[in-house]
Amino acid sequence: MKRVFTKEKVQMALWGIIGLMSILLIWQISVMVTSLGRIMPEPIEVVKSFLISSIKPVGRYTLLQHMLFSLLRVFVGFSLSGVSGIILGIAMGRSKTINSIASPIFNMVRPIPGVAWIPLAILWFGIGETTKYFIIFMGGFAQVVVNTMSGARKVDKTLVGAARMLGANKRQEFFRIVIPSSVPYIFAGLQISLSTSWMAVLAAEMVSSYKGSGWIIITGMNNGNTVQILVGMISIGVVGLGLANLMRIIERRLCSWRIQGQ
Amino acid sequence: MVNNNTIEEEKITSVQSPEVKVQVRGLTKSFGDLLVLDDVSFDVRKGEFLCIVGPTGCGKTTFLNSLTKLYTIDEGEMLVDGEPMDLKKHDIAYIFQEYSTMSWLRVDENVSFGLRIKGYPEEVIKERVDKVLKMIGLDKYRHYYPKKLSASMLQRVVIARAFAVEPELLLMDEPYGQLDLQLKYKLEDELLRLWEKTGTTVIFITHNIEEAVYLSDRILVLTNKPAKIKEELINDLPRPRDIADPKFVELRNRVTELIKWW
Repeated sequence: MKRVFTKEKVQMALWGIIGLMSILLIWQISVMVTSLGRIMPEPIEVVKSFLISSIKPVGRYTLLQHMLFSLLRVFVGFSLSGVSGIILGIAMGRSKTINSIASPIFNMVRPIPGVAWIPLAILWFGIGETTKYFIIFMGGFAQVVVNTMSGARKVDKTLVGAARMLGANKRQEFFRIVIPSSVPYIFAGLQISLSTSWMAVLAAEMVSSYKGSGWIIITGMNNGNTVQILVGMISIGVVGLGLANLMRIIERRLCSWRIQGQ
Repeated sequence: MVNNNTIEEEKITSVQSPEVKVQVRGLTKSFGDLLVLDDVSFDVRKGEFLCIVGPTGCGKTTFLNSLTKLYTIDEGEMLVDGEPMDLKKHDIAYIFQEYSTMSWLRVDENVSFGLRIKGYPEEVIKERVDKVLKMIGLDKYRHYYPKKLSASMLQRVVIARAFAVEPELLLMDEPYGQLDLQLKYKLEDELLRLWEKTGTTVIFITHNIEEAVYLSDRILVLTNKPAKIKEELINDLPRPRDIADPKFVELRNRVTELIKWW
């Protein structure tokens, strides 16, 4: 049973590699034989440059360092939006009064994308790190609030009743029923928030920065260096994929009861 | 009507067990203009198995929820051992119509939920959980999450959770309403066994007349909305009961008539 499963997995991975290779091949051929070569570098060159810039600095830092700077910014901004989003979301989901106070303001601010805050953020905080944190925060905050709120609202009343009948006080009701049953929703919110945070940091770096993956792309554009642009883009893709997988692993750990029964 | 009941009750209690466990006095509840419970009063003896039957939608669940203060009641009170009922002081367990397992807890954690709420020491928790799981035959599944379990198993987890706190009063609201017949019979016998072993007092609500006749020491028949006590029937058929026994059928028919003709 298990063996069949892994065999299938290997097969799927093989197909994935074949798909990737064909795209690279089509790219290589079209750059060589058509006029696409004038606006696109060869994939081999991009891969080569990607590997070289991992050791040799682009600007002041190596590619890996740039990626780490971007990640660090995301980490700070995302942590802030995650913690405050969970708190506000639960408060809005559990208290009608807080919901009435907060929801009009929240619903007005929510549709504004994080990047729309860039000009104001620069005026308020200058072009330093605070601006980036703020933009990431604004980008991811709303998603956490919305999801957490819906989780906190959907808590099964029967379970709350069952806990109360067994003598639970308000605090126990909250920590033993409300919080655990909201966890999957909170997690969905964090997942979306993390990917929007990653987008927001790139936008922020494109506007004003001297380091980070976004900076690599924008400098590439300013110098007419398509290889550097593509290297930057690939690094963004790699990190994005890594973050998504990381969240999935954590979710599997934290919400294993939803995924598997034993 | 109400007076008659009380007199009749006094006669019974003096014969069998003098100890009154629960006193319900003048319970009244309305939702807006709709009067659901109208001045309901009765006593339950210690260790008694009381069934409450009534036409579907007559307010049976409302009745139980009012008893336990999940709903605020308009008038009336419920005394346990002569004192106003207090969920933090009295060990009361409630088994809901809906399955109320906590899906993020394993079977044994579900069963220990009430004990932890009440702050029992770890050794006691372990001992009680082991005992109850063995009694109810869930020992093999103690590390399963509810997601893996069937409907009847889920309800048994809930019953185990209720018996783990060794309740002085057990309230059950059509606990087997969603199960198929065979499982229902099985769980009914299991419940009787646990009840006989522990000597707990049970108030069991059902719309299934056969179930009421099979389980109870005494049956209260409610009227249609607003619910009042229409009739009280003593059920002294010897256990184990046979649903084909003419006396069983006779009692069942009597209850049926009472529910039919209001």
